[in-house]
Amino acid sequence: MTSPTPLVVLDRVSKRFAGYTAVDELSLSIPTGVVYGLLGPNGAGKTTTIRMIMDILQPDAGAVRLFGQPSGGRAHTERIGYLPEERGLYRKMRVLDVLVFLAEMKGMERRSARDRAAQWLERLGLAQWAQRRIDELSKGMQQKVQFISTVLHDPDLVVLDEPFSGLDPVNTQAMKDVVLDLRRRGKTILFSTHIMEQAEKLCDQLCIIARGRKLVDGALGDIKRTHGGHHLVVGFDGQTGGAAHVFADRALVSKVDNYGQYAELELAADADAQRILAALVESGARLSRFELQEASLHKIFIDLVGPDAAHAEGGRSDA
Amino acid sequence: MRKVWAVVRREFVERVRRRWFWIMALVGPLFFGAVFVLPTVLAGGGVRNIAVVDATAGTLGGRITDSLNASHAFEAVRVPAGRGVIDSLTRQVEHQRISGFLILTDAAVDSGRAEYRGSNVSGFAAMRALERVVGEAVSAVRLERAGVDPKVVAEARRPIQLTTHPIGGRSVAGETAAQSFSLAYFMGIILYTAILLYGINVMSSVLEEKTTRIVEVLVSSLRPFELMAGKVLGVGAVSILQFLIWGVGARLLLARRASPVAASDAADEIFQVPHVSGATLAIFMAYFLGGFFLYSAMFAAVGAMSSTEQEARQAQQPVAWLLVLSFISMFALLNDPNSTLAVTLSLVPLSSPIAMPVRWAAGNIPGYEIALSLVILVGSIIGVTWTAARIYRVGILMTGKRPNLRELVRWVRA
Repeated sequence: MTSPTPLVVLDRVSKRFAGYTAVDELSLSIPTGVVYGLLGPNGAGKTTTIRMIMDILQPDAGAVRLFGQPSGGRAHTERIGYLPEERGLYRKMRVLDVLVFLAEMKGMERRSARDRAAQWLERLGLAQWAQRRIDELSKGMQQKVQFISTVLHDPDLVVLDEPFSGLDPVNTQAMKDVVLDLRRRGKTILFSTHIMEQAEKLCDQLCIIARGRKLVDGALGDIKRTHGGHHLVVGFDGQTGGAAHVFADRALVSKVDNYGQYAELELAADADAQRILAALVESGARLSRFELQEASLHKIFIDLVGPDAAHAEGGRSDA
Repeated sequence: MRKVWAVVRREFVERVRRRWFWIMALVGPLFFGAVFVLPTVLAGGGVRNIAVVDATAGTLGGRITDSLNASHAFEAVRVPAGRGVIDSLTRQVEHQRISGFLILTDAAVDSGRAEYRGSNVSGFAAMRALERVVGEAVSAVRLERAGVDPKVVAEARRPIQLTTHPIGGRSVAGETAAQSFSLAYFMGIILYTAILLYGINVMSSVLEEKTTRIVEVLVSSLRPFELMAGKVLGVGAVSILQFLIWGVGARLLLARRASPVAASDAADEIFQVPHVSGATLAIFMAYFLGGFFLYSAMFAAVGAMSSTEQEARQAQQPVAWLLVLSFISMFALLNDPNSTLAVTLSLVPLSSPIAMPVRWAAGNIPGYEIALSLVILVGSIIGVTWTAARIYRVGILMTGKRPNLRELVRWVRA
């Protein structure tokens, strides 16, 4: 999956606003063709980070590199689709005209933009609305029009800021389909969210930030292994053998809840679950279950961010 | 550049498509016409129906009735004095069948006294006309009484017509002082209204993109300055189209007006349809565009620093007041187009877009003054646009409370 030059690179990027630091020396790198999640509680600096990638804000320090070039989003605008956190369209314009105009902003020709917009409207069941004004559309339909405007010019990188916020269930599903379809076609998707369940389902790679700082980043599996693989559930099939002895080994197990036929263990630091398995088998125990429990991303997130920060409203989520 | 063009086209097409634009195209001239003619109408224009109650022994009543009818400002009927005449005429005034009535006695010739009773005694121009007619008739009677030959009286009283020509380098064919005045007045009103109207158009366009957050998508595609420039140019193009429609409409109307509509003398005396030369048009358009660019940059900044319509309406007041002040100063200018105040106002960039065309229309202006004023105006546009663009750049992404002056200065410096 990883290409030699990452598509998006942030190199110790910082952004300060009057009185506080929104993003603090953040570095990350997004390879081509992945779905990348930028996770964090409200006010963590996700939107500010995205705006710096998009060239809407200039970092106070550090550098943004896109497509291997030392330039932000504006220089590559025809290759990037962007859906801001807060949505809106020209209320008095006709649907087709809005789509053509926004595609022109992305460097498309009027005529091809018109054809492509018509195809998309057809695909999302809005064809008969093409000549209606935006403010005649329902909110859900407006959201669809806005998706279309984000992907109309067939961008290589799609940046979605809190794409699922405010969507009804039908559009949430449609949005997921669009994201998955884009990935299938080799596009790169960067999206921010504070809802971990979505990130867990969609992301290949992710970065968790809080208060403008990076807490962890990498592939979802790696993060789960390093941050979540400490819990072990062991079930016995009658014979426990010398299990109690194994559980008492502090080099392997730091904490144990032993229920006789069932035990929950917390692994010692640097301990390998495979060694515990080997020791248990050797001690003559018959196992019916041996499972490394993956912590949910939500739990990892809470552990990293702290329960207070995870739920705290950042206050300046617009910044 | 193609993107800026797309912004220009969107602003233009979306505006021209709106009903509002065509209503303005049609109603605008009516509105300006009303602003133009209303003062004269309010000052007592229009043909008045009056009765002349004649209690004189001689020909005075008949003479005055004839001269009133000849003036086109009045339709007069002579009524011999008698019992109950005053009461019945008063009732007619109350029922608005006639405007009023003039009571003439022989005392008019001796003491110079006459009485007018009417529904609108304050109609200044009409009263002046009435006074003039009565005065002329009375003096003619007095002269004849003194033994002067009526033919001599008539000869002596033949009025002169003073035609005024401003002296200057440009063609002044057919231009009278009244025409210059009305042209200046008219241009002042149009400049003020159009700059304010289209400036506020730019502001609401900025505000719409800000409140709907489309601006984020746009600014990630083109530079904020390009976006602002595209907006101003697009709205500017709409205003030029509006002027074209008005101009062509006015020409057609004026061509029809060649067959005179029985307009009142009083109105014609103050406002005459001016002859508009090519140079005047050029000056008008140059200063309109200059003023529009100057003010719409400020209005764009105001839109960018506001988060709601209400906020914007408040924040635009200082800018609008600058324009109102320039407009009000126009009246001082018209009084004396070459006073120090007038010259200053036509050089200061905030007021020159209105002041200079008004001065130009009112009288002769040295070419170097226009050149200097234009240079200052263009320089100011560059400076103001630069500053406004910096406020715009920061403002369009800000939400929450409106910045105070110190914060604004920081935005500009950032």
